[in-house]
Amino acid sequence: MSAAAHLNPPSSAPPAGAHREPVFHVRGLARVYGEGTAAVTALRGVDFDFFRGELVVLLGASGSGKSTLLNQLGGLDSPTHGTLLYRGWNLGTADESGLTQFRRDAVGFVFQAYNLIPSLTARENVALITEICRDPMAPEEALELVGLGPRMDHFPAQLSGGEQQRVAIARAIAKRPAVLLCDEPTGALDVHTGITVLEAIERINRDLGTLAVIITHNAILADMADRVFTLSDGRILNARSNARRGSVRDLAW
Amino acid sequence: MSLLDRKLLRDLIALKSQALAVALVMACGLAMMVTTRSLILSLEATRDTYYREHRFADVFARLKRAPNAVREQLAAIPGVATVQTSIAIQVTLDVPGLPEPAVGLLNSLPERGEPVLNRPYVRAGRLPLGRTTRGELAVGEAFAEAHGLNPGGAISAILNGTKQDFRLSGIVLSPEFVFEAPPGAALPDNKTYGVFWMPYKDLATAFQLYGAFNNVAITLAPGASEGEVIAAVNRVLAPYGARGAYARVNHPSHRRVDDEIRVLQGLSLAFPLVFLSVAAFMTNSVMSRQIALQREQIAMLKASGFSNRQVGAHYFKFSFAIVIVGVLFGAIGGVYLGHRLVEMYHLFFRFPQLDFVLDARVLVAAAAVSALAAFTGVAGAVRRAVHLPPAEAMRPEAPASFRPALLERIGGARWFSASFRMALRNIERRPIRSGLTCLALALATGILIVPNSFRDGIAYVIDFQWDIVQRQTVTLTLVEPGPSRAIADFRHLPGVELAEPFRYVPVELRSGPISRRLTLQGLPEHGTLSRVIDAEPRQLTLPARGIVISSKLADILHVRPGDEVIAKVLEGHERELAVPVIGLAEDFAGMAAYMELHALNRLLLEGDRISGAHLVVNASRWSDFLHAVKHTPRAAGCVIKNSIRDGFRKTTGESIGLLQKMYLLFAIIVAFGIIYNSARISLSERTRELATLRVLGFSRGEVGAVLVGELVLLTVAALPLGLVIGSGFAKGILSSVNTETVRLPLVLTADNYAFAILVVALASALSAWFAARKLADINLVSALKALD
Repeated sequence: MSAAAHLNPPSSAPPAGAHREPVFHVRGLARVYGEGTAAVTALRGVDFDFFRGELVVLLGASGSGKSTLLNQLGGLDSPTHGTLLYRGWNLGTADESGLTQFRRDAVGFVFQAYNLIPSLTARENVALITEICRDPMAPEEALELVGLGPRMDHFPAQLSGGEQQRVAIARAIAKRPAVLLCDEPTGALDVHTGITVLEAIERINRDLGTLAVIITHNAILADMADRVFTLSDGRILNARSNARRGSVRDLAW
Repeated sequence: MSLLDRKLLRDLIALKSQALAVALVMACGLAMMVTTRSLILSLEATRDTYYREHRFADVFARLKRAPNAVREQLAAIPGVATVQTSIAIQVTLDVPGLPEPAVGLLNSLPERGEPVLNRPYVRAGRLPLGRTTRGELAVGEAFAEAHGLNPGGAISAILNGTKQDFRLSGIVLSPEFVFEAPPGAALPDNKTYGVFWMPYKDLATAFQLYGAFNNVAITLAPGASEGEVIAAVNRVLAPYGARGAYARVNHPSHRRVDDEIRVLQGLSLAFPLVFLSVAAFMTNSVMSRQIALQREQIAMLKASGFSNRQVGAHYFKFSFAIVIVGVLFGAIGGVYLGHRLVEMYHLFFRFPQLDFVLDARVLVAAAAVSALAAFTGVAGAVRRAVHLPPAEAMRPEAPASFRPALLERIGGARWFSASFRMALRNIERRPIRSGLTCLALALATGILIVPNSFRDGIAYVIDFQWDIVQRQTVTLTLVEPGPSRAIADFRHLPGVELAEPFRYVPVELRSGPISRRLTLQGLPEHGTLSRVIDAEPRQLTLPARGIVISSKLADILHVRPGDEVIAKVLEGHERELAVPVIGLAEDFAGMAAYMELHALNRLLLEGDRISGAHLVVNASRWSDFLHAVKHTPRAAGCVIKNSIRDGFRKTTGESIGLLQKMYLLFAIIVAFGIIYNSARISLSERTRELATLRVLGFSRGEVGAVLVGELVLLTVAALPLGLVIGSGFAKGILSSVNTETVRLPLVLTADNYAFAILVVALASALSAWFAARKLADINLVSALKALD
């Protein structure tokens, strides 16, 4: 199966009800680094399905395997064992160019350290991505969505940390990704700034039907999720669903 | 080994290809410096020892003929320590295996004892000294080697019209003929010109000179005035057809060695310094980057109690390690090339022994210069590092500030892609570093121009000298200037289609206090064979009055067309008169002056006389012609244009050709080194940015384009600048090679420029390719985690 046929992002809000389409189908996923006695097992076989329109929070201490899992989902790394399907397409056995295409069309990344290109303005950082993917939104629209319309011609050095992170989110969503992967998105931010960033992620998830996966060690974020997975020592320790998602503003900061 | 030193070693290993690139550029500069300075030392030391041990004279004089008694008059001149009189005569030789006749300069050896001045060094066999040596001849080494002659071999010479057979007694060298070539020649032609020594009696009787001499060598007493002695010698010899005494500085062989040392001096400083400055810049950029990368390590070291001095020393050691490798390679390269070049000098200069002497002082000085350059290159970065408060250093550096590039601000923005904008803004944000990188790239382009301009200059000289100036097949000279009807005899030689006469006369040209001795050539007004050509190049016609001189000679005498020079005839009726300079001729070896043939003869008061003729000979009768010439008693010399040209090609191919290849290799190493280093630093600085792009879905090729964009822009800006700089280098270096004996014209061809551009473009492409391969090794996950 070709990669491209499965990379089309959702075009509308998520359908409610039982016939939900899994974005990721994961069974027995394991990742071992190194070999022999030096082998380090980062993931020891995890199973789950993530669906369109869901907001999932992965909790865990450092070394729990949550970053490894995120890297697998984002096509930055390949599993050692197990099944990793993205909308029926085997991501686990994809080659380098298949993974590049996957990241380009299907995944939006938000990093703890923002990773903006310092020599490009906010608008250009977003445009950099919209130039290479199919059916993107206008960079201005993406920046409006994260509330940065007025500051879009500023360079990263002229923006606060929260603003830089929101540019990163705009960059991630401008391609209308099927998946938004956020690695400690508020890790480097103060509470107030963190709230604006999380609100931006929440709005994208709600309005565009994007599957959003947030990894964090901050348990407070669990309340904004549809489902919460707690990882420890490379395993899923606990999975629960929230009957009702809490709004970001109501989280117990 | 302290742990910090162990860290240093491992850091160096991690940085090995860049450290090596810097060290190699440094090594190229050092090798050049060590080679040339050591050669200067070798030549000077060898020459001085040789001159001293073999008693090279201080003052020299040639004359027509003086009785031996005059020797006492010369010895009586105040300030004269030793006088040696002898006979020196040029003859035609018949060498076995050589179709054309060769020219031999026969020198007499004293009847009793050994020569007291200009004493030959016997390489093999012996000198034909004493009474039992009749029919024996010692031969100069260069000629002997060119013809495979050995002691016991045979050679024939035409002495005063009579062919005589000689046996070779030995192979010798002489301080008078270190450069074994006719006076004024830029390069030796050992096939057709040789120097010989034979007993006085044999030579003198053959030329009816027994009891007389025509050659004088004098050493001065300590404190004697050279000028006064020369004037006195001229007075003593005036009645005997003196051609003017001259000092050692004007001795043709000595002058040629001197000029070579001057050329080496020109090459030994400026050009290597360019390499060393480039190396200093590269050290700076590598070290600045290294220190930036190790910001947190520096903070940790300082937080743990290491002093600023310890941290600073650590990074200085890093750059000194690079210098040590560079010096090592430079010394090895310099010694190796020095040995190769010493072998090359054997082509030109004949010393009993010319050994390569490593100029250790230069090595030490060059190492110190490199260390100093590295030190200044690194000092700024180290100072910034050690002055960083530990707490601040622990935090990642704030994102760099950018703004739209000038090109965008003036309205170009909408045409540029994002990656082009990134490149432009990166360049503009660090103007000094971008400027220096651009300059280094320009220097890399520039130094590629120099070696090929040598090659093109030589090609031009060959075409100019033997296609434009000289169009004869062969030049025949008479034993003595003779009546102009001799030209008719030449026209009757087999195969001769065209013959034009010439008159050669030794003169001294003077303007104010400056004078030079040279051969004044009398040529037909509209000569078609040996032509007088100016810099255009355009043929100059010789009018009935006035003189045309080499433009180099005009520079030396400080005269321009329209000025007058004093011409003093050094042969026959000694006369002195002022002649106007009417034109400047272009030439690249020695110095020349030309007059119309009849005008010259009027000046000499000798009637219509000629020294020889330039001939065009039909190729189908060539061997008949040569055979006839070998048996023409009145022909003293026969110069075949093509063999001179071939000899020139061969000798320059082996000498300047070697230098050219060596410099070209260095230039290519530097071009690659600079560009590779820039690409690596750019890669290192932007790893995070490039990894982000990869994570965001850019392919390797697209990210590669972003990385290379900046380098491409800088290279494109550097190329035209490099061509200008290179042309300047070539001009500067060629002007240092511009001596009275040898010159090279500045020839800059489109091919040369295209080659430089091609090499730099290729180096850029390959470096970009290497760097792009490194991109594949970047671990996307860890590159994002690491805070630079």
